[in-house]
Amino acid sequence: MILLVEDNPDHEALTIRALKKNNIVNEVQVARDGAEALEMLMGTGRFEAKAVRPSVVLLDLKLPKVDGIDVLRQLRNHEPTRLLPVVVLTSSDEERDVLESYQYGANSYIRKPVDFLQFMESTKQLGLYWLVLNQSPPDPVVTDDKSLASS
Amino acid sequence: MPFDDAQEILLLRSQINTLEQLLQVHEATALQQALRLEKTIERLQDKTAEVEELNRELENRVLQRTSELQAAVQELETFCYSVSHDLRAPLRTLDGFSQALLEDYGETLDADGRMFLDRIRKNSQHLAQLIDSLLQLSRLNRLEMKTQAVDLSQMVAAVISDLKQAQPRPEMAVHIEPGIQAEGDSSLLQNVLMNLLENSWKFTAKTEHPTVEFGLQKNGSEPCCFVRDNGAGFDMRFEGKLFGAFQRLHRPGEFEGTGIGLATVQRIIRRHRGRIWAQAAVNEGATFYFTLPGLRQTAMEGRA
Repeated sequence: MILLVEDNPDHEALTIRALKKNNIVNEVQVARDGAEALEMLMGTGRFEAKAVRPSVVLLDLKLPKVDGIDVLRQLRNHEPTRLLPVVVLTSSDEERDVLESYQYGANSYIRKPVDFLQFMESTKQLGLYWLVLNQSPPDPVVTDDKSLASS
Repeated sequence: MPFDDAQEILLLRSQINTLEQLLQVHEATALQQALRLEKTIERLQDKTAEVEELNRELENRVLQRTSELQAAVQELETFCYSVSHDLRAPLRTLDGFSQALLEDYGETLDADGRMFLDRIRKNSQHLAQLIDSLLQLSRLNRLEMKTQAVDLSQMVAAVISDLKQAQPRPEMAVHIEPGIQAEGDSSLLQNVLMNLLENSWKFTAKTEHPTVEFGLQKNGSEPCCFVRDNGAGFDMRFEGKLFGAFQRLHRPGEFEGTGIGLATVQRIIRRHRGRIWAQAAVNEGATFYFTLPGLRQTAMEGRA
């Protein structure tokens, strides 16, 4: 499952379209602001007892309520989401944003291109890398024993 | 003798009197002078206080101006930040949904309909490029300069090798004078050379035997280096527009570009306290001359 954190409904539609067109069939859940993303991932508020555990979070930076950098910071300070793969997906290429994203533990930083065909290509690579090639960190709650046994 | 004595005493007394009178006069003068001095000192003290007050005022004003300036810079940064984020967002939507229309409904559109969508996409992308260039230009002033000795000849060779890879031009003749050095910020100077050489690459696209040249010229007391090509050139009547942002001397479609390259180049050279100017003629190529601190050519023994 992919968690897309995106406040712009047009961009949400385009990202979902790009994923679908690239045959990335994983379920996509959407959080429309930073606070909602945190509730979903930490299992608080409306998502109490049913926290979502995506393979990767696609995180926009400029978000209502809680901005992307703050979401990232809180995820990294919260044990169950400390190692969750987070890809920053934003329009900005300001050095400050790139630097802060990595400082707070982003796994990758991708600037959304204006050209949709380029964006299709980015999405294809992104899906291939984070959903197929990349091995996610073991779930800290359930798999401690299993991961030890298999190694 | 007693007579003499008495006379002497009288004389002495009169002398003493005279002395006393003199003393009194001097005393009076001294007193007056002391009074005047006191007044001068008072006035000086007043003036000093005034100067101190003025200084304080001036310091306050400097502090105020500095904080105003800092606020302005801060505002500019915030502005640039939201430009980079917010102005691009609707463009992505325009481009994305035009492409979606082409993909999903392209068959029901005729050639004109598809061309219109292509035009929307092309212009969205062009505007995105303009926004990016504008941001780059504004970033130039925000970046801190790290000055060091830079080998411009090597830098030119590297940029040209990148250009050759990105846009192969086997017929392009390149001549680089070796060992040209300057003091400056390496990444900013690279930006200058990249812009100038990219221009040479671009504006010789329709030239039969294209050449590009980098060298040093010692005209007068101040040496300057130059990038020269034999491409499309321009009319010197429009030289004044050359370095203005978004000014272009060629029609869209003739040569691609956003009109920001030379504005960037000029800004960087000026930040280095150098000068840049150009010499050109239509269809006879263009030469861009610029000065930089510490510009010199080192002796290159055993190297061609």
